[in-house]
Amino acid sequence: MSDKHLIELFDVSKEYDGDAALKNIDLYVNHGEFLTLLGPSGCGKTTMLRIIAGFVMPSSGRVLMEGRDVAHIPPYKRKVNTVFQKYALFPHLNVFDNVAFGLKIKKLPKAEIERRVNTLLELVNLKGYGKRWVEQLSGGQQQRVAIARALVNEPEVLLLDEPLGALDLQLRKGMQVELKRMQQRLGITFIYVTHDQEEALTMSDTIVVLREGVIQQIGAPQDIYNEPRNAFVADFIGESNILPGMMACDYRVRFNGREYPCVDAGFGEEQPVEVVVRPEDVDILPLAQVGGNGMRGVVKSTLFMGVHYEIQVVSDGYTWMVHTTDAVDVGWQVGMQILPDAIHIMRPRP
Amino acid sequence: MKRTVFAAPYAVWMAIFIFAPMLLIGYYAFTDGGDFTLANMRAGLDAMYMQVLIRSIWLAFRATLLCLLLGYPIAYLLSRMKHGTATLLSVFFVVPMWMNFLLRTYAWQVLLDSGGILNSLLISLNMPGQQLLYTEAAVLLGMVYNFLPFMILPVYTVLTKMDASHIEAARDLGANGMQTFFRVVLPLSMPGVISGVTMVFIPAITTFAISRLLGGGMFMLYGDLMENQFLLLNDWGSGSALSFILLILVIISMAVMRRAERQAGEEGAKLW
Amino acid sequence: MVKRVRNFFKGTYLGLMLLFLYAPIAVLIVYSFNASKTMGNWTGFSLIWYRALFGDAMIMRALGVTLSVAALSAVIATIMGTFAAIGMHSMKKGTRLVIENISQLPVVNPDLVTGISLMMIFAFIGLKDGYTRLLLAHITFNIPYVIFSVAPKLRQSSNELYEAALDLGCTPLEALIKVVIPDIMPGIVSGFILAFTLSLDDFVVSYFSTQGVENLSIYIYSMARRGINPKINALSTLMFVAVVTLLLIVNIKSIREERAADTQRRKVAKKTA
Repeated sequence: MSDKHLIELFDVSKEYDGDAALKNIDLYVNHGEFLTLLGPSGCGKTTMLRIIAGFVMPSSGRVLMEGRDVAHIPPYKRKVNTVFQKYALFPHLNVFDNVAFGLKIKKLPKAEIERRVNTLLELVNLKGYGKRWVEQLSGGQQQRVAIARALVNEPEVLLLDEPLGALDLQLRKGMQVELKRMQQRLGITFIYVTHDQEEALTMSDTIVVLREGVIQQIGAPQDIYNEPRNAFVADFIGESNILPGMMACDYRVRFNGREYPCVDAGFGEEQPVEVVVRPEDVDILPLAQVGGNGMRGVVKSTLFMGVHYEIQVVSDGYTWMVHTTDAVDVGWQVGMQILPDAIHIMRPRP
Repeated sequence: MKRTVFAAPYAVWMAIFIFAPMLLIGYYAFTDGGDFTLANMRAGLDAMYMQVLIRSIWLAFRATLLCLLLGYPIAYLLSRMKHGTATLLSVFFVVPMWMNFLLRTYAWQVLLDSGGILNSLLISLNMPGQQLLYTEAAVLLGMVYNFLPFMILPVYTVLTKMDASHIEAARDLGANGMQTFFRVVLPLSMPGVISGVTMVFIPAITTFAISRLLGGGMFMLYGDLMENQFLLLNDWGSGSALSFILLILVIISMAVMRRAERQAGEEGAKLW
Repeated sequence: MVKRVRNFFKGTYLGLMLLFLYAPIAVLIVYSFNASKTMGNWTGFSLIWYRALFGDAMIMRALGVTLSVAALSAVIATIMGTFAAIGMHSMKKGTRLVIENISQLPVVNPDLVTGISLMMIFAFIGLKDGYTRLLLAHITFNIPYVIFSVAPKLRQSSNELYEAALDLGCTPLEALIKVVIPDIMPGIVSGFILAFTLSLDDFVVSYFSTQGVENLSIYIYSMARRGINPKINALSTLMFVAVVTLLLIVNIKSIREERAADTQRRKVAKKTA
């Protein structure tokens, strides 16, 4: 098994002065994979990245790269390069020398350095910028120099620590696409740290959701979004309505005073559960279409978001978050409908 | 972690040339021929010495106050100017500091001398010549002249770093110029004022050559007293006792300033 | 109108203060060219005091001592201080605070106490050579200033740069030499300049700690105690001109660089806009 995985973490924990930053992490990363570590700040995602880079030693557990334990391999001997959060470009060097830095350390011939640096500068759309000083570049350009500086060393793995965090929204979107394209073209493994769930969903092959040093869920973006394993993941990945409920029996769940058919089973009978419904999965119906027993509520607020409206509907004391393309007004009575496969059941948080 | 080794040479240096000498002062202040004694300290607290100490403190206090009163407006006016002009002008205010401190003092000796420029000026205006040099006022003047830039700089630095939006906010909330200054600018600049006061007051207490050159040795200050004990009388015991008293004084005033700084910081924080 | 009056007062105040600061220096400079020995009356332009100054072997020797001690102590203090700052930077907080506090002593201590304490330790260990005493004393009070100029740059330079160098294949020592030291270079340079000028300017510590050797400060002091001496006027003039020239060079350079960077930034801003 282990020769198939590029990086493996076995039972890795890290403590800082008695505070656990990571708890018993098991994870593997495949060749050519775009893996994202996702979670709120302080969840341990950056610590995990730094352990892989070699800047931090785990308190316990093992880290393998290509099957070899790397505990005693310092960062400068690992075939891993990092794009730092604030780029960490060397202010005393120009763009070319920044990118050439790693190659010069390896004492490659001059001609080869020049060729490889120029190729990379071209790849990141900075052809002809070699002589510029780093401070003269815009944030997006600095970002691309940082990427070129890491990639020029042809690492097995590229680690990216919230690399787009400092860019404005439009630039960020553009860079997301560019990064993903670069990764696919070069076939290098990317390990990407972010707290931005949208970014994670767009770019990743695999997402690892972390919370307080514990992995909550590992899976493809679609799985994580559609089948969140617990309420934290559901809440963190996109907006959700999360309600306490009771599993009446298999395929039947009770919440907010009603019983609904659902597609989940195996939770037992009369067991407390948490129910997650995505805002876009709540359908708004005209009152006339709702039967006598149907769900109804009063519109509390509406917000036009461009493609859809974000509205809040109060029904039986619970305020539903609903995304709809129908225009409604505050104070209107509306009907609502939730289809069985839109109801996600999960075990309650401890 | 091996990098801590780089500090080792300095640590050794510090132990020999900073730490050990302090111990020596303590040793000589409290011993006589190797035996513990309080005689040196008792001598150091003698009324005559205390008088000198009080005179030094009083003089230093007045010098500090004058520096603050003269220096704060300078710093304030500079900080309100366009960046380029302010930088250039602030250089002008600092340049004299780069001249040897003795030469600066000597310059006043030349100006104030009985046959010097100021007296010649007075006489040419048909006014009686004055004894200007070798007076307490001359010593005070010399201190203010020497220490003024040390007051201007920290205040100027704090004022220029101050976010202009604070002042705009105060204006926006209806404060007039004076109110803005006294309620926002001054409290926010307190850290600079305090470090300026520290940088003037402590050297002023222990100033040594100024009183000799401009006071003509007629106004013995604590520094002159210590010179006497060590270099003239070669009495390390009572000299160390005087140093010890001075150090305690410095520590007390540092503690007072620190405290004031913290309070100023808190007040600054309250404004947020 | 009110504004103009106010500006007038502001200008006058700053002007008066500058006059206060510069008048004594200007007088020194003018009278250094006076043919007469008495300051009050001007008897004509002359360079006799300059000739006398350069003919004075004692002054020239003192100048030599001052310059060589300033250069040597600044170089040694810069090297030792930079390494100390780097070492202290990677220490645990507790140890670092202890060392930081002790190294603050020569800064916080009145010069007088520093000078006396150094005199005592030199006598105690039986160091007799006045020049060595002077040099050791100047290194001692210079190092903390180097540390204070380097340490903030180290803190600014963020571990990220160092880590980036390791990440790109540098050994820790290579990372230090190729990345960390160039990055903190401005701090090292300003530490050196500060140390050099402090050493030039020092009188009190030198006066107490050395014996038998005179640097300029000590020499001026012993002359000025006996009254006015036009040779010192000439010396002051030369030193003032030297300092101003040096400052102008440094400042013009930095102003030019700032301006260049500014226009660059504006260009970039235009391009990205």
